[in-house]
Amino acid sequence: MSILTLNNVHKHFGETPIICGVNLNIEEGERHAIIGPNGAGKSTLFHLISGKYPVTEGTISLRGQAIQNLPPYEIARRGLARSFQVTNIFPRLSVFENIRCGLLWKMGYGYSFWNLLGRQHDLNTAAHGILDQIGLSQRADYPAGELAYAQQRALELGIAIASGAEVIMLDEPVAGMSHSEAENAVALIRRVTEGKTLIMVEHDMSIVFGIADRISVLVYGELIACDTPSNIRSSEKVQEAYLGTVTADE
Amino acid sequence: MFEVLVFATLNGLVTGLLLFMLASGLTLIFSMMGVLNFAHASFYMLGAYFAYSISLYLGFWPGLLIAPLLVGLLGALIERYGLRRVHQHGHVAELVFTFGLAFLIDEAVQFFWGPDTKNYQSPDVLDFPLFTLFGQEFSAYRGFMIGISVLIFIGLYRLLTRSRVGIIIQAAITHPHTVANLGHNVPLIFMAVFGVGSALAGVAGVIAGPVLTTFPGMATVLGSIVFVIVVIGGLGSLAGALIASLLIGLLQSYAIASNLGVADLLNLFGLEFSRDHLLTDLWTLTLPQIAPILPYLLLILVLIFRPTGLLGNREQ
Amino acid sequence: MKKILTKSLVWIGYLAVLLLLPQFFDSILAVSLFNQMAIAIVFALSYNMLLGQGGMLSFGHAVYFGLGGFLAVHALLLIEFETVYFSIVYIPLLAGLVGLLAALFIGSFSTRKAGTVFAMISLGIGELLAASSLIFVSFFGGEAGVSGDRTYGPPLFGVEFFQGIEIYYLAAAWVFVATLFMYLFTQTPAGRMANAVRDNPERAEFIGYSARRVRYISFCASGFFAGIAGGLYALNYEFVTEETLNAVTSGRVLLMAYIGGLGYFIGPILGAVILTLMNSLLSNYTDLWMLYLGILFLLTVLFLPKGFAGFIMMHRVAWLQRRIRKLVLPYLATAIPAMVFMATCVLMLELSHIEDESISVLNMELSASSSSTWLGLLLIASTSMLVTRRTLPALREAWESANHVADEPESKS
Repeated sequence: MSILTLNNVHKHFGETPIICGVNLNIEEGERHAIIGPNGAGKSTLFHLISGKYPVTEGTISLRGQAIQNLPPYEIARRGLARSFQVTNIFPRLSVFENIRCGLLWKMGYGYSFWNLLGRQHDLNTAAHGILDQIGLSQRADYPAGELAYAQQRALELGIAIASGAEVIMLDEPVAGMSHSEAENAVALIRRVTEGKTLIMVEHDMSIVFGIADRISVLVYGELIACDTPSNIRSSEKVQEAYLGTVTADE
Repeated sequence: MFEVLVFATLNGLVTGLLLFMLASGLTLIFSMMGVLNFAHASFYMLGAYFAYSISLYLGFWPGLLIAPLLVGLLGALIERYGLRRVHQHGHVAELVFTFGLAFLIDEAVQFFWGPDTKNYQSPDVLDFPLFTLFGQEFSAYRGFMIGISVLIFIGLYRLLTRSRVGIIIQAAITHPHTVANLGHNVPLIFMAVFGVGSALAGVAGVIAGPVLTTFPGMATVLGSIVFVIVVIGGLGSLAGALIASLLIGLLQSYAIASNLGVADLLNLFGLEFSRDHLLTDLWTLTLPQIAPILPYLLLILVLIFRPTGLLGNREQ
Repeated sequence: MKKILTKSLVWIGYLAVLLLLPQFFDSILAVSLFNQMAIAIVFALSYNMLLGQGGMLSFGHAVYFGLGGFLAVHALLLIEFETVYFSIVYIPLLAGLVGLLAALFIGSFSTRKAGTVFAMISLGIGELLAASSLIFVSFFGGEAGVSGDRTYGPPLFGVEFFQGIEIYYLAAAWVFVATLFMYLFTQTPAGRMANAVRDNPERAEFIGYSARRVRYISFCASGFFAGIAGGLYALNYEFVTEETLNAVTSGRVLLMAYIGGLGYFIGPILGAVILTLMNSLLSNYTDLWMLYLGILFLLTVLFLPKGFAGFIMMHRVAWLQRRIRKLVLPYLATAIPAMVFMATCVLMLELSHIEDESISVLNMELSASSSSTWLGLLLIASTSMLVTRRTLPALREAWESANHVADEPESKS
């Protein structure tokens, strides 16, 4: 069954249409990539789904429940986590605290001001577990803002999976990384999103075609194709609108 | 009744335009650097004190010219050696810095000039009634204050919209990096804008000193009101600052001139309350009494219902 | 386990200092100073909950302090006129609840945004209440304020609170409890999320927390503790005026927290102690102490953005590396001429301000009217400044070598 459904989603900034009627079904457990030229509206689409911006028109539903125009924290509580194109962590908190903050809501602490964090055995074990998964255990007590770039991206991924979300959205997770860093990052993404639904925006085509079960192509706010990688590769429409220009450039 | 209204309007106009002279500099600095300068009213006070000292030796008119220049120079130096340094620590540090600066300038003024009120006089040339209405005189000096304020507004507006410098400044407000890449010295522009803004506050001080009395508390009296104005008008909007200044000036002036109280309001509805009640203060409240709190009431309402201010479009 | 032990030791030490201080300094002046410190500590810590922990810059924190104080003094009056009858030791709690109530109301609209909007609302509310307090005379007492008498309540274990020292122990108990609870708050999910929202409100929303709600909780807690401080103030002075809730008091608490160091729990405590000391000691010697305070504050903002606590914590690495000794000599080399420079500046300020003709320093009569005095002082000032500047590179070098950490091998990720 589809876990996330976008139905005729529009977004205008003032008079300018950015997203024009996007329909998309994402199946549970699939790895879905959204590609498209710069300015196609990929990040905007992410912001609409995760609640950063309200939609102008249309509906978005997560497991059948409408989530469009809910505040981001409500959407996050319903099981959707995301990362950002620009690194977005809590820079003055330690790496460990970053992860622990990500865990708090799922583990039911809410806005509690009567539980002491140090005493929550389960919480702290879970946090250390995630640090192990993302390979930052040795940096646990570092201020997050002082980590190297690739490590910050790994931390951001860690915060996203800490929430226990079933849908993980990653906005250009390997942008700005060296080749070997990117390889590590992809392996990490594969590992930690095992069994979950993954939606990602990425420019690096080798990564996209390597990781995705299905690919959607967004051009000028419209979804021109949504299919398996091999079909996308051979689609003339996509070649023309997008890949063609890339190959011509390179 | 009518004569009260006319004079309340005129006085409100004088206050409003004076407030605008302060608010315009503050707004200019804010839109450039994203910093609300707590010390802005302190520059206004310095303007009055400098002009007072100068007037003792050279008379009023040289003070009108020299004092704002001195204040502007001081402002530019503070930007260069103080604000620019704390800039790297973020907006809170900058705000706290200007807060400390206001505190220090207040103390320094008391150190150099003493705690008592200075006998700073308007020039004799302007010591005549401009016109007499309903038996009340409107002094030429107040007319002069209106004139200067309007001149400055026009000058500033033309400078910002017509001149090359103004266009560079406007561009630097929104796109500092692009302007820097075009080869303009953005830090220098920042320093100059801060200096000019301070000098404007200085001018306001020079001309307000004789009317509103020159004493060490004069910065505190106007300081938070000017803040209120730039926030109500919309941070960074010059036109908004003008509207808000006039609004506050007139509002306060009308409130003071009127003699209405809560009791009158209740009487209007045919209600009456005994005077010795726990809430007596509330029933006996009059408009002149609440005039000082009106701007803050307005501020809170605006911030709750329209956080960007009347004409503002940027929210931090 | 070891961590818990050290932490308990710190708290026991804190309690011991609070309890033993009056044993060593028992003059009336000292006790009144300790009372002021106790009040300032709670107030500054409550302010840090807002700015340091939660990233909310407030220019109107005195509102909660002052309201607590006014309620406390009215409670004293009620006890005096036998409307109610309970021991005054509970009054700070009542005052705290008033602070909480005010914060519940004001926070409901002011915590929507942090940053400039929050700062401006807090400023507006502070000014609004300060101006209103002069209008509503029956509760706030106008310019004269309201006074009460703390000795009418039922004695607690025979203590009737006639003396300052008795109030001190009462205050010390409240300070300890308040400090402990404010510390514990920082260790709860709500406290930690306050840090997270301070750092990055957007990210906090995407992990399930409403930034506004998180701010609101910190804001209310902060109002509660500020109210307690106000209650202690009322008990100590038995007299509350408009000044307790106006901009002067709001500004002072900002100064304390900032000079002490916002990022550290202990910072505001340091700030409260330093400023109270300066306030009461310096004001005995000079009229200019407010000027010095202003200079100190600006220098702190410019050169020690993390305050005194931050300055101390800067030495952690050197301490752990056991290289702190390397810094002693360079520090002295810079500090001595710097002190001479500052002392000379202070002397010049005092000389130009003093009404008498001369000041005697180190058995020398310095006359304010002789130009040789001024020339001499200027010479000393400029020389000491030059010397200070000459020592700076050496200090920097020593600092870097003391803090140099051998590069750790990069951990695999």
